[in-house]
Amino acid sequence: MLMRWSQRRKQLEEEIQAHIALETEENLLAGVPPEEARLAAQRKFGNALLALERSREIWDALWLERLLQDLRFALRSLRKSPGYTTSVVLTLALGLGSVATMLTIVDSVLLRPVAIPHPHQLVMLYIRTDQTGSRGELTGSEIQDLERDSRLFTAVAGYTMTMKPVRTSSGTGWALIGQVIPGFFRVLDVHAALGRLPGRKTAAPVAVVSHDFWQERLGSDPHAIGSLIHLDGQELTVTGVLPPGVSILSGTGGPVAYTPLSLPSQQNGPPPSSAFVIARIKHGVSVLQALAEARSILVHSDPQDAIANRDLVLQSYDSYLTGGLYKPLLALLGGVLILLLIAVANAANLQIAHSMERMAEMHGRSALGASFSRLLQQLLVESVVISLLGAALGCALAYGSAAIVRTSYGNQYARFRQIAMHPVVLAAIALLAFITGILASLGPAFSIRRRTRATAVTPRATSRTRVSGILVILQIALTCVLVAAAGLFARTFRALEQIPLGFNPHHVTDLVLWPIDSQESPVLIRQTYTRLLERFEALPGVESAAMQTSVPFSNAVLFLNCATDVGGRPFRRGDMPLYSFVSSNFVRASGIQLLQGRGFTAQDDTSPDIVALVNQAFVHKFLPVRDPLGVTLRVHRRHPHPASPGILPLAILQALEPEPYVPLKPSFRIVGVVQNELQGPDLGASFEPMIYLDYRQIPKDSAFLGTIGAMSQFVIRSRLPQGVLDDELRTILKQVAPDLAEMQLSPMKEEMAQALGEHTLALRLVSSFGAMALLLAAIGIYGMLAYTVTLRRREIGVRMALGSSRAGVIQLVLRQAGWTVAVGVIPGLAGAWAAGHAVQAFLFGVRPLDPVSLAGAVAVLSLAGAMAATLPAWRAARVDPMDVLRIE
Amino acid sequence: MSTCARDRALDLLQGTLDLLILQTLAFGRAHGHAIARSIERESEEVLRVGHGSLYPALQRLLKLKLIVAEDGVSENNRKARFYRLTAKGRAALNQEASKWQRFSRAMARIVRPLPQESR
Repeated sequence: MLMRWSQRRKQLEEEIQAHIALETEENLLAGVPPEEARLAAQRKFGNALLALERSREIWDALWLERLLQDLRFALRSLRKSPGYTTSVVLTLALGLGSVATMLTIVDSVLLRPVAIPHPHQLVMLYIRTDQTGSRGELTGSEIQDLERDSRLFTAVAGYTMTMKPVRTSSGTGWALIGQVIPGFFRVLDVHAALGRLPGRKTAAPVAVVSHDFWQERLGSDPHAIGSLIHLDGQELTVTGVLPPGVSILSGTGGPVAYTPLSLPSQQNGPPPSSAFVIARIKHGVSVLQALAEARSILVHSDPQDAIANRDLVLQSYDSYLTGGLYKPLLALLGGVLILLLIAVANAANLQIAHSMERMAEMHGRSALGASFSRLLQQLLVESVVISLLGAALGCALAYGSAAIVRTSYGNQYARFRQIAMHPVVLAAIALLAFITGILASLGPAFSIRRRTRATAVTPRATSRTRVSGILVILQIALTCVLVAAAGLFARTFRALEQIPLGFNPHHVTDLVLWPIDSQESPVLIRQTYTRLLERFEALPGVESAAMQTSVPFSNAVLFLNCATDVGGRPFRRGDMPLYSFVSSNFVRASGIQLLQGRGFTAQDDTSPDIVALVNQAFVHKFLPVRDPLGVTLRVHRRHPHPASPGILPLAILQALEPEPYVPLKPSFRIVGVVQNELQGPDLGASFEPMIYLDYRQIPKDSAFLGTIGAMSQFVIRSRLPQGVLDDELRTILKQVAPDLAEMQLSPMKEEMAQALGEHTLALRLVSSFGAMALLLAAIGIYGMLAYTVTLRRREIGVRMALGSSRAGVIQLVLRQAGWTVAVGVIPGLAGAWAAGHAVQAFLFGVRPLDPVSLAGAVAVLSLAGAMAATLPAWRAARVDPMDVLRIE
Repeated sequence: MSTCARDRALDLLQGTLDLLILQTLAFGRAHGHAIARSIERESEEVLRVGHGSLYPALQRLLKLKLIVAEDGVSENNRKARFYRLTAKGRAALNQEASKWQRFSRAMARIVRPLPQESR
């Protein structure tokens, strides 16, 4: 094809040349002098080049050739002006790279399909109790009813989760244990990578393990099927290995073993008699339809139960997995697009300035016959080439950033481990680069159009600076938004750090213990605790040691809510305070403030009465007007709702099922009120009413003892170096409590940092956006001012010659900078307010229209503007009036 | 003259230029320069088009297969491309010519130059 093109071109050229030659000869014959003859002939012919192109156009699709021409020309001219090229490429790389990073994260985390077929058909069913919004389980009979009667679900399965030590050929370690009814795998609809998945009936003690378990604990042994693992005093045979990427229960990867669960069909059977439910909806059925059907089935299944109080909720599996990440990631994506806009404005400004320098060339080309569309095409090609270069560099940067995010946060957020740059993201960025290139070239395009149409070419500086001035104002406004947002997040972080914890977290180590054999007698375990506490306190260098079943910031949480009668007050549904079991020195050791009454004392152990402490929230809710001291409390004598564990990553979950009889028969008396204490890792959670009981006072037949024996947390306050303290504690553990295994031993500071982890990440990201935006805006202001100074050199020289001082000239420049910033800040503040409302859900302790953040943003922007103006101002002051006037 | 203004003039001329070329070739084959000359001469110098606009028109007619091109030697022993009408071209010429006649007769009936007005 190219051959034919050049052939045809040659032919036409020859023909045209022959034509002109003929005409020339005729002119010569007519007596015209030789030089004139040729010129006259050419003039008569008209624009030979244009004629050639028009003729070729009829046959060949010249657009491709023109495009290649433009491409070559663009690359050449970019190479000729390296400074300009570098600055535009870097600016766009910053903007596009940030977008690429966020797109990669959003794509990998939110959009990528999970390794289960048709994951959008999977739903989780649970009861929403009106207590904390945490999830309640369904009973075995309810699950059976759903399975039997439902027509819109293809499969329903119950499961519970817990963490237990598992012994395999490679040693003992913790694993997440999912106890699942045999139909569970039918819901998932996956096939085993090795071995088989159990069918409906499994009699033998078998286990199915996750891919990670097989890799880490079974050493990726291809003959792992049939091997034994020891769990909870039982030996289980491994019959199947799940394919990689299937991590159902909490979305985390890691080793998981699935063991069979059988739920009794009768009410009030032995525990566990309830479970969480995962189900698969039939294709084409909506979630709402399935929910309605499930509700109607359950209403009929057990009319005696307090269904009215229990709210059945259906949550799609996807949203369960991604959970709270959806909104924050989208908000971050919005922030990054703002950054891109700023970068594009910068690039556009740079292009406008650059095109001014090439005006002469544009005029020449226009005079030679190039139409406006041709010039525009060349501009566009050049702009798009630069954008693509910027995009390539940006993608390289994004690749690195994504890797950093993956390694830093892969442990906290399960899905982050899968962050990888897929071709989809690259394609999206390429598209964005195209759009960016087109947008950035609009400015020069319009100015060229105006100038090539004008008959007189007068240098008009005003229109150029108007457009670029608008662009800079736009940049400032957007930067104001990002900086203000960063301010809001920073204040949120400070507010979170300063939440009254009810707990002195300094120099505290958190030790979590579990019994290796869960069948061990809780009474014995309790005695072990007592011995441990004695030994811990006796250690030199240890200020205090206490035990609590729930500790602030700890990932090991056990929420035990129990219906309670408050003396002198009629019981209402929903009266379910949180119970926490603590050691006697709790008040002293934790540093919690005692507001009324007293703490636990040694005498309480021997006295027959059980005493309790309550917190402020309890008093507010149950005893707002009465004196709380001396009030009698008693566990309510109805079938209490099952304990609702909070589900969190890495949390230890134990669905403890209190027996239908009352877990604590005797009543107990309030002897003291303490301040509110944070429970668990959620910093922003509101304080729940709590009852603290001394663990040694619990009678032997109480079911609460089982809770105490299931898990314990010790908080040791000491200024010893961490390594020394750890060794001492472990030595004592080995001596005194060989039947308890250490689950976690870490300073509270670390756990605090983890709890703040999400907010730290958000703050870091938003601050980096703000910083980049500031940099770009400063560059934009600098560029505009530098150009203005260059343009107004004559004016400045004349001014100085007429008597203006250097200070006056500097003032001129600074005034322009100040005015630009001032004008830009007004829409910026409005935008910041809107943005504040958009991210309201992530803020804490600070209002969206926060004057401090807004004022801070304005101050920072003004500072940036002032700094950007120094160099141009200095250059303006250095203008020598004599030089300028001489040039005139 | 700016190319923009030239564009507009050319648009009007495109259809008529084709007709002129076809008519010129009705009398036998000719090369580009000769065609241009002929048009000027026959119209008594009223119609003058830039010779450059001839060639795109020739290519257009070639594409429509109304004329064919062949290499030859011109009067002054130069290599030149000669064009001649095809049968299809001849038919088109007749059709267009009669259309033009009817059109110009109708225009002449309505449009008359006013006596004291200079154009």
